[in-house]
Amino acid sequence: MTMAVASENEMSAPAPKSSAPAQDERARLGFRLTLPAQILVLFISAFPLLMQAYISLTDWSPLSGTNWWNAWEMWNTFANYTDLAMDGRFWSALWRTLVVMLVCVPVEFLLGLALATLFADDFPGKKLFYSILLMPMMVVPAVAGYMFFMLFQSGGPVNDVLSGLLGFPVAIAWLSDPKLALAAVMIADIWQWTPLMFLILLAGLVGVPQDQIKAATLLGANAWQRFVTIVVPKMKTIIIIALAIRVIENFKIFDTLYIMTGGGPGVATETISVYIYKVTTQDLIWGYVAAIALAILVVLSVAAVLAMKRMAANREAAA
Amino acid sequence: MKRAVPFEIFRYAAIFAALAVTLIPILWMMSMAFKPIGEWSATGAELTWWPKEPTLANFRFIFGESSSDLIVALDRTALKPILSSLLSASLGTIIAMSAGTAAAYGLSRFGAGQNLPLALTQLRLFPPMAVMIPVMIMWAFLNFTDSWWGLALIYGIVTLPFAFWLMKTFFDDMPREIEEAGLVEGCSRWRVFTRITLPMMRAPLASAALFVFILNWSDYLIALLLTTREWVTIPVYMASLSSSMTGQLYGAKAALGLIAAVPPVIMGIAIQRHLVRGLTFGALKQ
Repeated sequence: MTMAVASENEMSAPAPKSSAPAQDERARLGFRLTLPAQILVLFISAFPLLMQAYISLTDWSPLSGTNWWNAWEMWNTFANYTDLAMDGRFWSALWRTLVVMLVCVPVEFLLGLALATLFADDFPGKKLFYSILLMPMMVVPAVAGYMFFMLFQSGGPVNDVLSGLLGFPVAIAWLSDPKLALAAVMIADIWQWTPLMFLILLAGLVGVPQDQIKAATLLGANAWQRFVTIVVPKMKTIIIIALAIRVIENFKIFDTLYIMTGGGPGVATETISVYIYKVTTQDLIWGYVAAIALAILVVLSVAAVLAMKRMAANREAAA
Repeated sequence: MKRAVPFEIFRYAAIFAALAVTLIPILWMMSMAFKPIGEWSATGAELTWWPKEPTLANFRFIFGESSSDLIVALDRTALKPILSSLLSASLGTIIAMSAGTAAAYGLSRFGAGQNLPLALTQLRLFPPMAVMIPVMIMWAFLNFTDSWWGLALIYGIVTLPFAFWLMKTFFDDMPREIEEAGLVEGCSRWRVFTRITLPMMRAPLASAALFVFILNWSDYLIALLLTTREWVTIPVYMASLSSSMTGQLYGAKAALGLIAAVPPVIMGIAIQRHLVRGLTFGALKQ
């Protein structure tokens, strides 16, 4: 970060834009400015990935008494990867992660869209309500997890409210029932991240041209028709971005969930991140963890590149 | 467009329902933070929505005052975890913002680092859990494990994509005429950047820095893996409060949770305008 400072003196005075020295200065400064970021990216990608690939082909563990570079002594070729293909706990964790995603993201999207629609025009109190509704996404996720841990205690407020509504005492042990625990975890995620959908979708909604809506209204389109034929098509890109962000982030789900249930009871709420965390810190088979992690990275990278190509193609088609 | 009265009633009803759902978990934790142990209601005691006898005992407890009601004494107070969170999140923000701002300017003005947008987007895509094995080994090798500066380095890298994208959109939006005037006046491009562009961008820089700070401050997983004792951060420390012999220290944890939650919420409200931009990597502006 201080690297660029030294270059101040060598910089020559400006010359007409097209001249060679000016081009040279631009290129040199551009290179220096981007260098720190390039180094950080390289530092966290190239070497770690090579190391990860190497370790993933061995049985190495921090307890095996040798340094990681000597892991070849425990070479097992592709045994970790074949183990992974047969690892029932891994596949069920992956499945659970997808279930959580397939429930949470659509619910967050629909609730966020509904709220955004309510906020599309002005009304008294809008600004204050808007600020309050955004609060959950700023709460530290681990703290949000603790909030919901307290709410879902058997003597906690959720059961208290249910008792009040139903008229008889309810004492559901939310977090120790395998099915309910997963539901509780999803409720926490929906609470925390619906505001993000609301925020993004509202920003998109106010960008929809009002004159088109007015024209449609004059032509006799009702609110639903206007929404489907004008608003949704105009918001297509924004909707894709919002969904993509939540899909990416939801796939990583860890903090709230781990504080609430620790992945339990049993493995009832064990998602991919929790599973990897447990193998890393409890079983300590790091060679195997490296194989899991690398497999996930490769799949996600391919998916990301394909998705970005697709989006770029769409953008060109639209332009 | 004037809306019908029934719609307004429906709108307010729906919004108030949403507000209630939003606020109850937060208020419950606040209420818990000020409750004496007798009202924690985890042990079957009557549930009280509002503390009957509000007390600061929970806050005093996490800062080291021994409590006769709790048979436990903390082996360390919340002071050092708070310090650790502050230091690591701040230095992490400085790293991300310096590297991110410089790179964003380099790309926005000089077309340097064309690979960065994709590389940094991928960096955000990956679950941190999937790169933590090499990071843990590297950090151990560098002697960075269990230190606030080690955390700061990884925070700086993890939040670099956000700093980069936010600053890039700000630079892209900025009118070039002023910079060009500076060049005509005879300033070098570096001088234009440091003396004209950056001072002009003070407000966006501050917003981006707050945004990045919130992200760093919110981390739990990385600190859980990279700190063990000396420099655990607030969330890690908070989670460890539950494993003591007396069971959950509800009030104490709630007090600590409140301390952890308040700064980012205030900062987040302060930079509301830029949240959309930061979260969508500049694909969307408000």
